[in-house]
Amino acid sequence: MLEIQNLTKIYEDGTLALDDVSFTVEDGEFLVVIGLSGSGKSTLLRCINRLVEPTSGRVIWDGEDITAASQEELRKIRRQIGMIFQQFNLVKRSSVMTNVLSGRLGYVNPWLSLAHQFPREERERAMHNLELVGIAGKAQNRADELSGGQQQRVGIARALMQNPKLMLADEPVASLDPATSHSVLKYIEHLNRDQGVTVLCSLHFLSLARRYGTRIIALKAGQIVFDGLPEEIDDHRFKEIYGEEAVQVEVR
Amino acid sequence: MVDEKDIAEETDPNRSPALASLLSLIVPGAGQLYLGERSRGLSFLGAAVILVGLLTWLDMSLLYIGLLPFWLWNAWDARQQAQGRQPSFVLGFVLIAVVVYAIGWQVTEISVLKLVEGVPRIQPVVASLLKPDVVTRDVEVMEAIHIFESPCSGSPPAVAQPKVDAPYLITEPTCADVDETITVRGGNFPPSRTGELWWENPIGQASRLRARGEFVNFETDAQGQFSQQIAVPDVVPESGQHGPQIHEIKPRVSTPVGSPHASETFWLVVRRVGETIAQALMATTLGILLAVPVSFFSARNLMAVNPVGTAVYYVTRTLLNILRSVEPLIMAIVFVVWVGLGPFAGVLALVAHSIAALGKLYSEAIESIDPGPIEAVSATGANRAQVVVYAVLPQVLPPFVAFSIYRWDINVRMSTILGFVGGGGIGFLLQQWIRLSDYNEAGTAIWAIAIVVTILDYASAQVRERIV
Amino acid sequence: MNFEDKTWLQRGRWLLLIALAAGMYVWSWNAAGMQPSLLIEGAPKARGIIKDLLQPHLFTRPEEIQEAETVIEAPCSGSPPSPAPDEGSSDGPAVQIEPACASAEDPVMVSGFGFRPNTSGRLHWAPAGMQGRLRDEQFTTDAQGAFTVETTVPPLLEQQGGVSGVVAQVEWESGALQPSEPLRTTIEKIIETVFLALMATTLGGIIAVPLSFLGARNIMPRTPAGNAVYGLTRGFFNVMRSIEPIILATIFAIWVGFGPFAGVLALSIVTIASLGKLYSEAAESIQEGPIEAVTATGANRFQVVVYGVVPQIVPPYTAFTIYQWDINVRISTIIGFVGGGGVGFVLRNWINQTRWTWASVAVWAIVIVVWLMDYTSARVREAIV
Ligand SMILES: Nc1ncnc2c1ncn2[C@@H]1O[C@H](COP(=O)(O)OP(=O)(O)OP(=O)(O)O)[C@@H](O)[C@H]1O
Ligand SMILES: [Mg+2]
Repeated sequence: MLEIQNLTKIYEDGTLALDDVSFTVEDGEFLVVIGLSGSGKSTLLRCINRLVEPTSGRVIWDGEDITAASQEELRKIRRQIGMIFQQFNLVKRSSVMTNVLSGRLGYVNPWLSLAHQFPREERERAMHNLELVGIAGKAQNRADELSGGQQQRVGIARALMQNPKLMLADEPVASLDPATSHSVLKYIEHLNRDQGVTVLCSLHFLSLARRYGTRIIALKAGQIVFDGLPEEIDDHRFKEIYGEEAVQVEVR
Repeated sequence: MVDEKDIAEETDPNRSPALASLLSLIVPGAGQLYLGERSRGLSFLGAAVILVGLLTWLDMSLLYIGLLPFWLWNAWDARQQAQGRQPSFVLGFVLIAVVVYAIGWQVTEISVLKLVEGVPRIQPVVASLLKPDVVTRDVEVMEAIHIFESPCSGSPPAVAQPKVDAPYLITEPTCADVDETITVRGGNFPPSRTGELWWENPIGQASRLRARGEFVNFETDAQGQFSQQIAVPDVVPESGQHGPQIHEIKPRVSTPVGSPHASETFWLVVRRVGETIAQALMATTLGILLAVPVSFFSARNLMAVNPVGTAVYYVTRTLLNILRSVEPLIMAIVFVVWVGLGPFAGVLALVAHSIAALGKLYSEAIESIDPGPIEAVSATGANRAQVVVYAVLPQVLPPFVAFSIYRWDINVRMSTILGFVGGGGIGFLLQQWIRLSDYNEAGTAIWAIAIVVTILDYASAQVRERIV
Repeated sequence: MNFEDKTWLQRGRWLLLIALAAGMYVWSWNAAGMQPSLLIEGAPKARGIIKDLLQPHLFTRPEEIQEAETVIEAPCSGSPPSPAPDEGSSDGPAVQIEPACASAEDPVMVSGFGFRPNTSGRLHWAPAGMQGRLRDEQFTTDAQGAFTVETTVPPLLEQQGGVSGVVAQVEWESGALQPSEPLRTTIEKIIETVFLALMATTLGGIIAVPLSFLGARNIMPRTPAGNAVYGLTRGFFNVMRSIEPIILATIFAIWVGFGPFAGVLALSIVTIASLGKLYSEAAESIQEGPIEAVTATGANRFQVVVYGVVPQIVPPYTAFTIYQWDINVRISTIIGFVGGGGVGFVLRNWINQTRWTWASVAVWAIVIVVWLMDYTSARVREAIV
């Protein structure tokens, strides 16, 4: 269970990105975070694994207070939480294999890893995960030789290496075309349904949120303006979240 | 970087590891070649040949031992390869690098000891360099002259009397041999000041008195008087052979007067810095003007349309490449012989180098233009000139401008040192001052160079941003 | 009305700019001492040099020398000296002078025989009591190995007085071709040049790496101290880059004495400054994303550096380093002008001695090495980035 309690984030320049946000995510949920650009979605997800330090409030994961964890404890927690990024965030000049293996850094011997030495079973696991996302053939290519969709799959494979119990996905499909978007989200859905990984995913398109989410949270100017089931978002709610002028777009 | 496993060729399991390593032990790389690893084998062989050649030529036979680890590693590598493994190249690379750097260390005579030993020599130099001679004040010198005999004759000069209205000096005694200590007393000097003692030998050569390497100074008291013991210096060549001679001792007190103003050095440096910039400007302008036509002759897409054009292309390219490899300083020496010492020779050297460098860059810019717009403009029915103005120029102008500004930067830098070989500019003064050990002045020149180059660099960066 | 005023003003501004530029060029023309006529006046000299530069003195054959000596008295003392008796061999070369005594500037006739036929030689004077010899007329022996030269007695002989020597020397090359002295020296010095550049690049590069982090905006914290360190580092890079290596080498030559070590030190400083700047810029352009991603997996600080930062900076750093080596080789060809070692030292000596065919060897060697470096460094950079 993930509990967010009174989370507030004020950036150094004074931007109030999260304003007293509280909610709870049960194990096994596929929670979608929606909201306009700048509403604080990325900030929220990054506060959970403390890539961004929250200004106040608490994040509690399986009874452990992430916000109070020491650096060492934080690393132990982080390795259980996978993260997928909109810009994939692969090391472009490293091979796909190295990128995937880097997902395992929290587990392996830190000294050996500095010399790029990984145990055989880790390499096999990496290969297995690449097979799972369907790009095993590209293992030795440089990451920047892959297409956007393939790169995102590498990103997922990297996250899978962590055996995550929680997956944070920050607009994982925003730079992808509709068909690829679906295939990527399907992997995430598969993780959620078949492996019981809790998913926190921010999305731009309401249609995608409705299709994949088991629950939706909407942010507006750093505050939660909606928290409920996908079906509950009607036209009125939609206008409330996205503003009067917005029109719904379908992604099929 | 490609993973080596990918390029590993199928190795024949029948090849013998023992034979492979033996071959590599005899000739590095031979085992690998035998196993069909061509690029690996050849690079090992090449490395070994070059290193052995170098060591032999340079007569560093002791370092052959240094090659041993690489030799053994290469044999081991051959064995591993024969057994179907692909050891990483890194270790071999490191073993080679060790030998290369050992050679380099010796060839370039690197010596930390020299660095340490030289510190006392360089310290005063750096101290002076950091104190550029920029402002001075005029000085008023007050001097007295006293006649002294050395060595003593039978009739030494009479003891002088203190003057009433002018600075004076009296010695006790009035004659002495070299290295004997005498007392000098002076008066009527400005009070509470430091003064210098100058000694003029019988042939009129004056020098400041030194004791154990340090200049001898005196301090006047509140009444403007002083008294000091000095040793008679040995200032006459082969003094033992001459009889008694008359020397002059001149105590000197200088008082700064008037307000601080720019020193002579400062104005000299300003003049030469002006000359330097003028050189860079002339060279860059002429270089650009000449490089443009040259670049047409060395652009493949313009020239390689018929055999004659292709020939011209290759000849120009080769000439440009040769010219480009020769540093402007070397060219400057040739031009100094040609047109004589002075800034003009420097300009010519920079022009020659600019043509070569810009010609290449320009022609590459021409070669990389996109034929699309040319087709599009031609398709509208435009004539040749219109095509050039609307489709070619817009494409080549920005890179041309960028390269030209870049060249200007380089020419400014280069023109600061052309004077080292007689090519004019600030470098001439700098080199002279360093040779004469006038480090305050040299420091002025170096600071001027640093400031001017930094400012011009900054300015051209601004222009570049504005334009490109 | 207003509109017209404006165009007038604009036109005026342009005119002003053009006038300014023209003035600047006129001043520059004078200040830079531009005298194109000198190019033509000096052309004959230049032609000779360029001809020599195109004929590098690469190979020689061992030289053989044949010499014969006689004596002359200057001024005449009344009892003219008799030449040293011949060693008895009638087939060896011999030389005679007529008259056997003379005053300064008097015409004399020197004849010789028994030399190698059809070979060029030179007449020398060996003034009494002096080690050196004075060079005089050149001659060529005829088919019988004989020659005759008319010349005048150099005043120096009379000054020295007494009996001076007259030497006829014939030189020719024989035997197999072998590398000439300039070629051997050049090869040695070119090796020194390349190694000088290598050592300086390595030394400078090693120091530049940590410094480049101090000069990278995204790495230095935005605290007053961080800003100060950043500013100082960048300032150091810029000031040092503005000073030509030759100037630094002059100073280091005072420090550690003439030789390649001074060059290594000067070039190292140059390398630190220019690689430091390039490295910092490369470090500034690394992407945050991958670093965040690696951090999010629970990696420790070192792992983040090794997996998130290093792969991003190694390729550009390597490329810049090789580029710098290329530049350093160029610079080390001239650093010897001020005593910094490398081929420049001998090149300048040979030019000062007007041995252009020797200098030519060094120049061509420079051309080849620089071109090779240029080519390989471009290739390697292509492969890496
Ligand atoms: N590093 C930062 N420093 C200062 N302000 C920031 C920073 N990162 C984000 N912000 C601000 O915080 C607010 C929330 O940003 P955030 O990136 O969380 O929005 P988002 O919902 O993810 O938007 P998008 O859909 O465009 O990704 C914005 O106003 C943004 O400008
Ligand atoms: Mg976002």
